Amino acid sequence: MSLTLEEVEHIANLARLRLSDEEKERYRQQLSAILEYAARLQELDTSQIPPTSSVLPPRSVLRGDEPRTDLTLEQILANAPQSEERQFRVPPVLE
Amino acid sequence: MTDYEIVIGLETHIQLNTTTKIFCSCKADSWFDPPNTNICPVCTGLPGVLPVLNQAVVEKGMLLAAAMHAEIQPVSYFDRKNYFYPDLPKGFQISQYDRSLARGGYLDLPMPSGYVRRVSIHKLHMEEDAGKTKNAGRERLIDFNRCGVPLVEMVTGPDLRSADEAAQYLIRLRQLLRWIGVSEADMEKGHLRCDANVSIRPRGADYLNPKTEIKNVNSIEAVRDAIEHEAARQIREVEAGNRIEAWTLEWDEDAGVLRKMRSKETEADYRYFREPDLLSLPITDEWKERVLAGLPELPLERRARFMQAYGLPEYDADILTGERNLSDYFEAAVQAYGGDPKRVSNWLMNDLLRMLNDTGRTADQLKVTPQYLAEILKLVDANTVNTSTGKALLAKVDQSGKAPRAIVEEEGLAQVSDDSAIRAVVQEVLNESPKEVESYRAGKVTLMGWFVGQVMKKMRGKADPSLARGILEELLGGG
Repeated sequence: MSLTLEEVEHIANLARLRLSDEEKERYRQQLSAILEYAARLQELDTSQIPPTSSVLPPRSVLRGDEPRTDLTLEQILANAPQSEERQFRVPPVLE
Repeated sequence: MTDYEIVIGLETHIQLNTTTKIFCSCKADSWFDPPNTNICPVCTGLPGVLPVLNQAVVEKGMLLAAAMHAEIQPVSYFDRKNYFYPDLPKGFQISQYDRSLARGGYLDLPMPSGYVRRVSIHKLHMEEDAGKTKNAGRERLIDFNRCGVPLVEMVTGPDLRSADEAAQYLIRLRQLLRWIGVSEADMEKGHLRCDANVSIRPRGADYLNPKTEIKNVNSIEAVRDAIEHEAARQIREVEAGNRIEAWTLEWDEDAGVLRKMRSKETEADYRYFREPDLLSLPITDEWKERVLAGLPELPLERRARFMQAYGLPEYDADILTGERNLSDYFEAAVQAYGGDPKRVSNWLMNDLLRMLNDTGRTADQLKVTPQYLAEILKLVDANTVNTSTGKALLAKVDQSGKAPRAIVEEEGLAQVSDDSAIRAVVQEVLNESPKEVESYRAGKVTLMGWFVGQVMKKMRGKADPSLARGILEELLGGG
């Protein structure tokens, strides 16, 4: 299971990462090694083992439908690099 | 030219009408609030926060699933759908992917031309909405009020065969959502949003051709127009020997044109994985039974029952079951009245619906209760008041909230059925109108209506019209 450079570039683009040629090659090797390891795990017969995407038993943790206020607008906007008219201001979207 | 058929599947996003958002306690409905009023660390994706699922979202989702005849799953999971966009502060949307709330399901569409189209449901899951962005010069402003508002996404199979059927799907879905009380389903407010997948094929073929996806068809008219435009375009392309490419298109409602959008991520690009911050969602039989006990008789079932049990024409049954409280009103009135249900239907459809439309109220807000409507019908049946007084009573009761019988007594509206009283007034009219009497006796019998009108006028509408006519005929006929 070996990744191509194009696949690494595609994944980097989805994660909005800009990689140098040297990084692309390094990550290609590292990610390929991880995938190979996962492929080895897949050889195991797990048909008799219950799925463990979570180690916690199924249990409902639910919240009542009661409104509550939290931080103020000023507190939240304080985290915005730029704001205007009560809103977060961001650069134009790509393309 | 080949005879083509259109193949359509619809993806709808339904905003549930819970009080709070799906994973935090912010108010969900921000329609009247300024930007960024109902936000908190959870829905704006601040580091270290944890989502907690709103019980009411699950219960409304269960009601909708049951109303769509879908199978509610004993355990379902939430997943992360990863993509970057400024309206999604966390960098992922919490949704459900392979193990969602419900499986299967269908909606039947009785079409106006007589056949029923059954539309299968391929996907039904819960998820959170994203925020809103708007252009401000060269930059964009972001309002996170809508972030975390609960949605159910529902995707149909490629089962619809015309723009009319697609429109009918939205009409019936909107009716159902309001009926079971899970969404306000106001398309103008974005409570019910729709994307359409469209392809064409030779009529009768059983394969699917490449489809295009039309985004933003957010009104019944838009669905109809956009699909018709796109199907016509595809037919032109195929007839010209070109292939249909799997474009994503956007419908510009104002200009009435489709525009090609930049291609979006493919499904694999979303890198779905189980949401690690939420537990699985087990739904026990006890919980399911308790919630589904609140599911009312569905609109199409009630429509069929109205036709069968009350002998109503399809047209009446369709209108009376358009809204749940209108159909409840009708049924309560039929029971209180005990007479012919069609008579109740006529009064409702002719008079009460106009009152509702004129004042923008729903049937449960009328001061003319079903019991008062029944009382008015009985007063007319017993000849206590005539039909036009009965109709006038509707407005009087609706203004005052008083019982019809009390108004009849107070205002002396009871019809005069006393022969001698009417006879005296008839004699008076004849004495005052010698010319008309002469014309009538000379053969102009159409004047009868005028004579009856004169008598009614003198008696302020209270005479029993058939009695008045009989006495007039008797006294005039002698000539």
